[in-house]
Amino acid sequence: MISRRTLLKSGAGAVAATLAAPAIAQAPKKISFLTWNIIDQEPMIRGWIARFVKDRPGVEVEWLDKKGPEIPVFYQTQLVAGTPPDIINTQGALGLEYAAQGALLDLTPRLKADAAVGSRFNADYLSNWAYEGNNYLLPFYITKTLLFYNKPMFQKAGLSGPPQSFDALIDAAQKMTSGDASGFLTLNFDWLYWPLYATNGIDLLSKDLTKPTFNTPKAIEVTDRLAKATEAGAINKISWTGRWVEPNGAFAAGNVGMLHAHSPAYFFVKGQGKWVTPETLGVAHAPGGFATPNSHGLGISKASKNPDLAWDFLKFVTNEGAQELGVNRKLVTGNIAVDTKNLADLEKSDPLVYSILKTQLEHTDKMVGNWRLGNDSKVKEAFWPELQNVLLGRKDAKTALADAERKVARELKRG
Amino acid sequence: MMPAAGDAPGGPAAERRDGWWQRKRTRELALVACFLLPSLVVFFLYRVLPLGWNLLLSVQYWSPLKPARWAGLDHYEEMLLYDDVFWQSLTNTLIFIGAAPFAIALALGIALLVNSDLKGAAVYRSIVFLSYPLMTVAVGIIWRWMYDERGGIINFALRESGLVAKPIPFLQSFEWALPSVIVAEVWQVLGFYMIIILTGLQSIPQHLYEAASIDGAPRWAQFWRITLPMLKPSLFLCAVVGILNSFTSFDLVYIMTNGGPGHATELLITYIYKSGFGQTKFDYAAALTVAQFILLLALTYLANRAAGGNAGSLERR
Repeated sequence: MISRRTLLKSGAGAVAATLAAPAIAQAPKKISFLTWNIIDQEPMIRGWIARFVKDRPGVEVEWLDKKGPEIPVFYQTQLVAGTPPDIINTQGALGLEYAAQGALLDLTPRLKADAAVGSRFNADYLSNWAYEGNNYLLPFYITKTLLFYNKPMFQKAGLSGPPQSFDALIDAAQKMTSGDASGFLTLNFDWLYWPLYATNGIDLLSKDLTKPTFNTPKAIEVTDRLAKATEAGAINKISWTGRWVEPNGAFAAGNVGMLHAHSPAYFFVKGQGKWVTPETLGVAHAPGGFATPNSHGLGISKASKNPDLAWDFLKFVTNEGAQELGVNRKLVTGNIAVDTKNLADLEKSDPLVYSILKTQLEHTDKMVGNWRLGNDSKVKEAFWPELQNVLLGRKDAKTALADAERKVARELKRG
Repeated sequence: MMPAAGDAPGGPAAERRDGWWQRKRTRELALVACFLLPSLVVFFLYRVLPLGWNLLLSVQYWSPLKPARWAGLDHYEEMLLYDDVFWQSLTNTLIFIGAAPFAIALALGIALLVNSDLKGAAVYRSIVFLSYPLMTVAVGIIWRWMYDERGGIINFALRESGLVAKPIPFLQSFEWALPSVIVAEVWQVLGFYMIIILTGLQSIPQHLYEAASIDGAPRWAQFWRITLPMLKPSLFLCAVVGILNSFTSFDLVYIMTNGGPGHATELLITYIYKSGFGQTKFDYAAALTVAQFILLLALTYLANRAAGGNAGSLERR
């Protein structure tokens, strides 16, 4: 005879099995996709997801978007919790830091196995995210610095065209300075000012990235000249204090001769500066053709439960999705075929944007300020405040660079 | 096996247990424990545990995906001997705290004014208090615009009145940035101080002033001998709030200057955040947090001593 206990146990087991069976059978494969402040592209991203899951029954893609400053906080807390998003969009050297921490999946084996994927991209941009020889991110959309200039101010100062050397840049800046007008502005975050040093043959670190190499007589001279030009008003002080809104806003006001910034700055300047037209805004490379990249890349979290699916999504977004992204946002993606097509269209429809984006694909072998460091932000924090001390007149160049050298060396040693 | 006599139902042990539970004091203690338990659990989970974990973290090398390694006092050594930013942010925090007495003095002046027979005192009171309920982020944005070099109202007024020839880069200069942020901080908290002091002023018995007047005490003597001593609890409260505000002014500094230029406006709290989330140095940030905690303890102790040594204690009847 069956006891009451056995009967109850059997019943409970049967109910649990009935409930669990379809759940197991239908458990969706889910990946999450974290983007960096592109909430305005919601219809496009929802469209990507719809197209991606269409041929993959039982697959779900969750999309999350965070503003720039929120991304590191969010991602790191998710890492600690063990639930990082499967795919993450990072900017600049942040991806390398995550790679160094062991947060990102090494994409090198996948790129080797799927050679066609790697060859889609501009090799210089792709290599920006190689840490210790391995690649951790694919280009999502790419940017590097260039020189915007105010043509009417150039004409008024009797300047024929954009400066071709550092000396010419400082001279031009001085010529355009009077009253409230200043000659030059640069963005300073993420080493974006470094082309000013690179064009003078100065590098921050040794080739093996183990020693600081910037404390040289030439670097002291260049820093001193930048400080003096700032003091005289030829270089706008906002160059060394503002981040993005302030310098771009100052250039948009129309009384700054040149703006050294990455390509997205154009859209901000155009939005605020009524004077900005193809006739008034000039576009050129910074002297020597040097530029600092500040691109967005896509990587896969090592903790992803579905890395193959995440890889498929990554390939999809950076190929099928890239076309739409390039058109919608008027940007270059690093995908050679996509950029070639989009630029050809833009040349006819928006020549000014075309000329800006064209610079992003030229001289890509002269990208600087992109040391493949796993502790880039710490090195930056050791260097930048000391440089700021000189540029804003608080220390002399020799002392500040010596202090910076000591701090950077210590940071490199600490790893 | 036979049970021991003391274990038998209704035996002496049971009687002892019943007696233990039936004691009034025991039952009262149990009741108190029941009431306290939820708060104690929350206090333990959200205060004691993080504090202990933070202390442990500060003596380890740790990052989210790497196993922790013993670091001993390395982070403290780095902080105290090599880190200029720590010293600067500590100095800035102390300057921030040092500004609190000035703000309290200003609030006292305003409170005395709006407590007088001044026409429209209620309106002034509301205007001064208006800044306090504003979100700090909004306050930061408003002041950032007001200080703006190109379009800010302060520079506009200074230039229009001929006081300066060139706009002052309030938030971009090493000299002006910290005082400018402090002004914004004081502006926001002034209304709160004023209300606290005003409440204190209105609770001072009028007959004390009447007696002083009859005795021929001048106004200033009445202020020093009656008003100020009677306001001591209110002023102490303002001082405590001021100290706490200085330690938690993260949002205002973050919005207005993000600690810059250089680290001219860096506070310990913003530096802790940047070290942890900006540079992924959670272990080092933990050591900085311990330093801030020690500073907070020291200041609280001093404030308590200044208030007579029994701030927060309950009066026994």
